Amino acid sequence: MEQTRKTRRQILKTSAAAVAGTTAFFGPWTHNRVWAQAATAKPLVIGLTMDNSGQYAASGGEERLGAMMAIKEFNDKGGVLGRRIEAVHMDTETTPATGSRVAERMITRNEAAFLIGAVHSGVANAISQVAQKYGCIFLNTNSSSPTESGKDCHRVKFVWDGNGTNFAQAIVKNAIRASGKDWVLLTNDYVWGHNTSKATRAVVEANGGKIVEELLVPQNTRDFSSYLLKLQQLKPAVVATAIGGDDIKALRQQVVQLKLNKSAAWINNQQDWPDVYGLGPEAIFGVFGTTWYYRLDLPGVKEFVASYQKQYPGMAIRVPGNVYHNGYMATRELLRCVEEAGSTNNIAVIKKLEGRRMSAHDRLQHHDAWIDPNTHQCQQTIYMASYNDTPAEKDDIFRILANVDPKEVQDRDSAGACKLESYEATPSYQV
Amino acid sequence: MLGNLLPHLVNGISLGLLFALIALGFMLIVGVMETINLAHGSLFALGAYVALFVATPRLGWFPELQAAYLALPIGTRYAIALFVAPLIVGLFGLLLELCLRRTYGRDPLYGLLLTFGAALVIEELIRLTWGSTEKQLPLPALISGAFVFDGLIYSSYRVFASVFAMAAIVALWLFLEKTPYGSIIKAGAHDSEMVRALGINLPRLRAAVFALGVALAALAGVVMAPIWGIRPHVGVDAVVPAFLIIVLGGVGSLWGAVLAGLLVGMVVGLSGAYASEWSLMSMYLLFIAVVTFRSRGLFGKKSVLDA
Repeated sequence: MEQTRKTRRQILKTSAAAVAGTTAFFGPWTHNRVWAQAATAKPLVIGLTMDNSGQYAASGGEERLGAMMAIKEFNDKGGVLGRRIEAVHMDTETTPATGSRVAERMITRNEAAFLIGAVHSGVANAISQVAQKYGCIFLNTNSSSPTESGKDCHRVKFVWDGNGTNFAQAIVKNAIRASGKDWVLLTNDYVWGHNTSKATRAVVEANGGKIVEELLVPQNTRDFSSYLLKLQQLKPAVVATAIGGDDIKALRQQVVQLKLNKSAAWINNQQDWPDVYGLGPEAIFGVFGTTWYYRLDLPGVKEFVASYQKQYPGMAIRVPGNVYHNGYMATRELLRCVEEAGSTNNIAVIKKLEGRRMSAHDRLQHHDAWIDPNTHQCQQTIYMASYNDTPAEKDDIFRILANVDPKEVQDRDSAGACKLESYEATPSYQV
Repeated sequence: MLGNLLPHLVNGISLGLLFALIALGFMLIVGVMETINLAHGSLFALGAYVALFVATPRLGWFPELQAAYLALPIGTRYAIALFVAPLIVGLFGLLLELCLRRTYGRDPLYGLLLTFGAALVIEELIRLTWGSTEKQLPLPALISGAFVFDGLIYSSYRVFASVFAMAAIVALWLFLEKTPYGSIIKAGAHDSEMVRALGINLPRLRAAVFALGVALAALAGVVMAPIWGIRPHVGVDAVVPAFLIIVLGGVGSLWGAVLAGLLVGMVVGLSGAYASEWSLMSMYLLFIAVVTFRSRGLFGKKSVLDA
């Protein structure tokens, strides 16, 4: 049998020819991109920095659906500035270090034009530091520590949820009047819990109440028996919780088992919809704050709910809640600002967002909202709610007790603590 | 002062018994098979979900059967779930053990990776089957609710769960110490080659032990479901304390695991009441303190390296 054997010179020649041929066909990669853009505009990439695991996995999933719905609506109209919008999601794992890593990767590798999403305030703070370094606009959709629009504010960050101070101001005065002056605080031991309880403490003390004790609850606590025994020994008139995610689910169930929901008044600063959905009627006790409810008697709400159900049929959470609403409204408003600015340039879009006014009708709430240009927090209607013991349907588990105008519950302290970077100090960013 | 402390001591013991129950299956598999089962938490969660299905089944194709079953008192359905769920998950454990066989005698990393992968798959299967929202296991009136003792309210279910955990620990001890099967399992843990030489089918023994360990994980999941709630990732909350408890107690020691569970329950319970921000950290501090002075854990066997 004849054996063919290639020489080293032949191999080198073949390799050189292959490289030359490939280069001639595809060209330098930058040119390649220009050709591609000439045919169709380069897609606008939005990085969704949302939790898919950890304490806030459920809320992370809901706000992602909200953002995706707004993106879909824009894509159905042809995208934004003639560019199709592509969403890239990475799990931030309810962990600040992961949040930083995800933000860095989305900006440097995925070329994300904007970052959207956060529930955990530590994660939001971590993402915003990376975003500010590059100048990439970041929408903190659902994390509500007052520090997010206070000492940790950034020029590129916009906070869309009501914060601990807003909710405390809406709820605490009434609770002191109705239930008593001795309060115990149950506080999740991280930035949101601390700052929310700090805000509650300030309002309680300013209104003649007294904080008997503050019990810090480490994140991921599943057994609250020792806390609940301690509460019984302290005998407060009111228990104010700043506990979120899976922790509040476990706490609510254990409070009900002991029937402690009947021996003291319970206030939960803010109650996110995914954290109570499916818990059962008994576990939704006390008074709590929220920013939206799916049965608000306002024009457009029914259609909003119907579009959720049409887009996401068969979801475990059958109707949207406040977390979805924030995710949707934030994304929609950002894309509107990009259109109005006629550019994705960060400074141009930031200027459109700062001080932006949004009508109550447009946001499906009772009062007009606006973005505070000094803190970048969206000032919106705060609702006080409790369990609805006469539900009109299975999911109708909240009774809205009152709606509060954002002007009445503004967080003045954050405005003092927030020092936004100047436009000049913020890197120019455009993808 | 003592009056205030006493409820927290009792609560610590109750918590400790529950922690020990969570660690039992993990202890058995590590002790006998020298395999760290990272799927323990997911199997714990699967136990809770299967119990939920058994207690409140949705049999779309058999509505009459479903109606007839749901007509049974909740106490009966709960008792069936408590028995059947660990059995079903134990059978699932047999399948998992078939996959695990290829890792025996190889680098322990293979077993770790396989069980870690299994944990992810099980969690995702749970999500696909039951969704990701919170679920609740219905309880019979006899063990739900609360009672007042010495001016404080206690949960009836917690008392039931603690007594049940104690019974499960005693039953496992009796099984291991007083039955020929227990003797074979212990012998297998001590010297598997000798057990094989005596004509005992080692692969079958390993499969049985793995299934028993998995069934115990599922049993713990059913018992803890009304306290911790049911969600796909609830197992993560179980696997870390379980791992810590078996190392603290000494790998492979039943009473070591029980004592370690009680100690962990005690420090978590007391710190929750008197230094609440330390309540989770306290178990790790206890672990560091014990392992610093006794690296093989409280009841661990002496290594040849120990003087």
